Order: sequence, then structure tokens, then C-alpha cells
Amino acid sequence: MSSPRLLLIAAMLSLPGAAQAQHAEACTEVPTLPAELAGWGSAHGTVEAAGNAKAVKATALPTGHRIEAALKPTGEVRYLARPEKPGGSVSYGGMFGFRADTDGTYRVALGSAAWIDVLNGKAAVVSTAHGHGPACSGIRKMVDFPLKAGSYTLQIAANGESAVQVMVARLP
Amino acid sequence: MSALLRALAFLTVCAVLAGAAPHWRWPSLPRGVAPPPVPADNPMSAAKVALGRRLFYEADLSINGTMSCGTCHAQKHGFADDNRTRPGALDDAGRRNVPGLANVGWLPALTFADPGLTTLEAQVAVPLFGEHPVEMGMKGKDAELVRRLARDACYVRMFRKAFPETRGEITTAAVAKALGAFQRTMIAFDTPWDRARRGKAPLPEAAARGEHLFQTQGCANCHAGSNFTDGGYHRLLPAHDDRGLGETTGSAEDDGRFRTPSLRNVALTAPYLHDGRAATLEDAVAAHNPSITAAHMHDIAAFLNALTDQGFVTDPQFALPESACGKRL
Repeated sequence: MSSPRLLLIAAMLSLPGAAQAQHAEACTEVPTLPAELAGWGSAHGTVEAAGNAKAVKATALPTGHRIEAALKPTGEVRYLARPEKPGGSVSYGGMFGFRADTDGTYRVALGSAAWIDVLNGKAAVVSTAHGHGPACSGIRKMVDFPLKAGSYTLQIAANGESAVQVMVARLP
Repeated sequence: MSALLRALAFLTVCAVLAGAAPHWRWPSLPRGVAPPPVPADNPMSAAKVALGRRLFYEADLSINGTMSCGTCHAQKHGFADDNRTRPGALDDAGRRNVPGLANVGWLPALTFADPGLTTLEAQVAVPLFGEHPVEMGMKGKDAELVRRLARDACYVRMFRKAFPETRGEITTAAVAKALGAFQRTMIAFDTPWDRARRGKAPLPEAAARGEHLFQTQGCANCHAGSNFTDGGYHRLLPAHDDRGLGETTGSAEDDGRFRTPSLRNVALTAPYLHDGRAATLEDAVAAHNPSITAAHMHDIAAFLNALTDQGFVTDPQFALPESACGKRL
């Protein structure tokens, strides 16, 4: 990765407060996304969120692609682990299974500011960085997680809408 | 009056008193520190504090169910936030940095620039209904807020226990009272600095030197008293796009003046200054004194780090409740 790109990513992830700057901008064109976010550029279908542990096994989130996540009313979701920010009765949430094929840092990119957890079993993986996406990209929030190869659950909580765009991608 | 009637009257009075306000016991406070002032119309009770705690973490207090008080006031950050400013529930940009809440019950005025906002109950309206900026987005939605809470049988019970004088009527005023009562219990007087003052364990040398500098170099002129704030409004930097106190008073003299923030748990509440422009403690200190030496900066930072109350930021009684009405949430 080139140095300028590294600096850009570092700035996006280490200055969460700068997220506010993009709200006031008028977006006239979609920016060119860095390689690790390239999958955000094309939609890869809709995935229905699971509302309980059993259903998680049936939801498979592809990595490296943006999908439309169809969420459930929060009251219908029985999370594997209670989210730190659970969301009110009028909010939406849900769970998705996904697989990390190799060890590495995986980034969850989201089109909203909803709360997210990545669970290994029922234990939340501690994130290593968080920030906002490139201006005008539609990525509202990005959180990085160090993962070993294996199966995980992505929990989304406290989303204001019944759908949200999401992508899980392994960083180069 | 017959003996029977007198007995009935006595029992009625007892019943009313028993339901009105069970005795409230404050935790032990440092010598010389009186309990925080409590509004006459909002006496403390355990039931009210329990309700306030649940409401503090209740995202249904925001228009789309995405934001509670605890969304911005995170316990691990001393009930502050690690963003410069925090967007509202509908993503409106935030304006000012989120302050910590340690010992907030003692602060004479609340928020960065409104001396008229003197009670926690009144302050609730700022995030809940405010439009500059829109935070929780509930302006004009009082009835919706009441509707959401009233359909939860446990909330109905909790309001009845907390407000027997109104038979548990759920109103936004009652919500504000419960939140105020809970926040008054956010008491933090167990830092290394407090313990040193009580003669329990001396501060590390660098922190002790830092405290001496803090007292002698002018910091304590504004960051005064046991909560490290004089409650006054001061101009640290030239006014930019936020008039601060001037916005409230309308006086150009007040432009750029902001309330002195408390320094309790300051090491956990980064970023700093009214707009969060200072990313680190060192940046914040340098904004006060750009010519400070590296040695003095080291010692001042050590002192500021001695103002962290680890018990406060990990105390389960302030955390997201796990259960209510005997059921897991």
C-alpha cells in the first residue's frame, strides 16, 4: 500500500471526531475507494438478519462485498450477547454469521452509525480501531477487528432504519 | 373525633409518608463535603434512582431508538465521549464536546455556556428536545415518548414506585426527575489524589510535583475546589464559530467564554476543550500554556492522571442495568 493511502486510512480511523466534517459536505460524486473498500462499490444482494442463535447459522454474510442487510425490529431479536448499546423498541437490529478464511484484521463497514459487535461464540472481539469512511462514500462507520480464521457472528444494534448497507472485508 | 377515626387518619398519614419518599442515604462523602443540593420537588429515593438509571440507558428516549444518554456519556470514559463532538440520532452534526458526569450533582450550572441551567432536571431538555443541535430529536414528541414507556409493564411499575405522589404518571417531567436523581448519585471521590489528601497513600513524586505546579502556576485559579472548577466562564482561545456564553447572554463581551470543566477523570475524557479540538491531555495543557516546558508537562500530566476514579468508571451501579422488575433486559 502506498504511503499516502496509509496516511489516509490512518487518519480516517484515528480521528473519529473528524466524522462530523463529512455531514455538512454536499456530495456530487462517489469517491474512488481504496482497495480494501473496493467491494463497497457494488451491491451483492440482500441478506435477512437472524433474530436468534439458531437462525444465525442460516445467515451467511459474504466477505469483501457490500450487502443490503434487512434488519428486524429490536424487540424481535434475541442477541447472542447483549449489545453495549442495545437500541430502543423503535430501532432495528439483527445478527449475521460470517467466516474469516484466514487470520487477519477484518473491517466492518456500515452505512449507518448503528452499534456493532463481532462475536467469537458469545464473546465480543475487542476492536482495534474505529472511524468513518471516505467522504461521500456512504460508509458512515468502520470498525476493525483482529480475527483468527473461523466463524463469527456480526451483531448490529440500535439502527434507525429497517435496512442498512454493510460489508465485512479483510484488510490487505 | 372518635378513636376509630383518629386511628384511620393516623394510618392514612403513615401510608402516604411511606409511599412518598423512603429515606435516602448518601454514600460516605469526604470530610467537609455536603451532599449535592436536591430540588425540593424531586426528593431522592432508591426507586427513583433505579428508574433514572434504566432511563439513562433507554434509547427510546431518542426519535429513532438509536440514542440514549449513555450513548454519549460512556462510563468507561468517565461518562464523557471519545469523539470531538457527537452527531445526533438523525446524524445532525454535534457542536460541543461531551462533558464527564463525575460529581455532576455539585456543579452550579450545566452545559458549556448556560448559567441559567442550574438543575439536572432542567438540563435533560437540552439533549432530549434541543434543536441547536438536534441530539435525541424528541422536540414535540412528548406524547410519543410517554407512549413508548407506558407500553412497557415494567416501566409502569417503576414509575409507580418512583412517583407514588402522582400514582406513577409517566410524563417527560417525571423522566427528567428520575434522570436527575440518578445523575446525583454519580459520585467520585476516590482517586489517588483524594486518597493522598486523606493521608492514605502519597501521590507519586511526579504527580505531587504536578500538583504543586497546578496550584502555583494559575491552573487552580479556574480549576478550583474539589471538583476542579470554579463554575465560571472563561475565554481560553479566540472566539471562532461558537460564541459560547455570548450566544446565551447576547453580549459580545462573553463571546468565546465557556464554563470551566471539571477535571475529575480527565485522563479518560479525551478529546478536550469545548469543541474537542485538543486530542490529548498534553494538547489541552498546551492550549492553556504554549510555552510550558517538557518537564512541567510531564508532571502536570502525571497529576491529571491521578484524578481518575477507577471505582467510579467500573461501578456496576452506574452501568447499563442487566435486569429490571426481576427480569433480564
